[in-house]
Amino acid sequence: MSHETWQEQLRRGSLDLAILLTVSDGPRYGLAIIQHLEAFTDLVVTEGTIYPILGRLTRDGLLSAEWVEGEAPHARKYYSLTRAGAKRLSTMKAEWRAFAEKIERLMASSERHAS
Amino acid sequence: MTLTETGESRINGYLFVLERSLGSFLPADVVRDAVREIESHVRERVASTDAMPNEREALERILAELGPPLRVAQAYSAERTIDEAVATGRVVPMLRAVWTLALRTFVGSAIATGLFSAYAAGIGFLAIAALKPIFPNNVGLIVRNGGPWQLGAQFPLPPGATVHGGYWIIPVSIACGVGVLVFAHTTTRHYLTAWGKRRRPEL
Repeated sequence: MSHETWQEQLRRGSLDLAILLTVSDGPRYGLAIIQHLEAFTDLVVTEGTIYPILGRLTRDGLLSAEWVEGEAPHARKYYSLTRAGAKRLSTMKAEWRAFAEKIERLMASSERHAS
Repeated sequence: MTLTETGESRINGYLFVLERSLGSFLPADVVRDAVREIESHVRERVASTDAMPNEREALERILAELGPPLRVAQAYSAERTIDEAVATGRVVPMLRAVWTLALRTFVGSAIATGLFSAYAAGIGFLAIAALKPIFPNNVGLIVRNGGPWQLGAQFPLPPGATVHGGYWIIPVSIACGVGVLVFAHTTTRHYLTAWGKRRRPEL
């Protein structure tokens, strides 16, 4: 596997978690989600590909979506975390931390042996 | 930035291509919603962008960051394929979903190989049933040099080969073909359903 493929898999694997985290503190519309992700990560490579993921998370019952008119000259589609989404987010966060901790331990051990 | 007529045409052209691309595999109401959301994104970006050095460059930058319409449509396709396959149970969406999963993981590609082979075997049996009445001397259980050699068709028959069995092979092939296809299709649907469930929360 090339380095780029590995990076791409990491990016894809963490996008769901990143999106759920972004809407966990309140409803956000698509562009606001993208801007938040861009401010904290480099996970968004092509902005337009975030919308199909938002659609899938909505179909899966993790997000709910609602069009809001009158707030701007154009309508905005707001996404909120559902109860199932909050439950899934909590599981994903715990799994991510446990995973990162194991890899960190492994790297620390490898570096100790190398020095 | 307020768009000129040229800028509006550029956006409309982008949305038109996106709509046409999405329309080839998504229901109309889903396409409408997706295009409305992408248009909202573009309008939002345009409203917050300075038209310097010129409108054309600013607009092209916005659309480049959004991604080409075919790329965006492709992303929708990748996310919808499996859901559509499980929901409809239609052959083409299911095969497309199996192919999509085959490209993602090693296990997916191994399962796809098995399922595509099963579909091919089923179609092969049905082809034997269809060809037997047309080419009775070339289709059936082919025996070569005294031993069974092939169940199928040969044009022309190789030297030393003879076709055994009569028209009884037609109902047997139909039964085997339908049986194998039903098995392949059911297994495919179970596989895709199981894959879909892995993503979903316990509601």
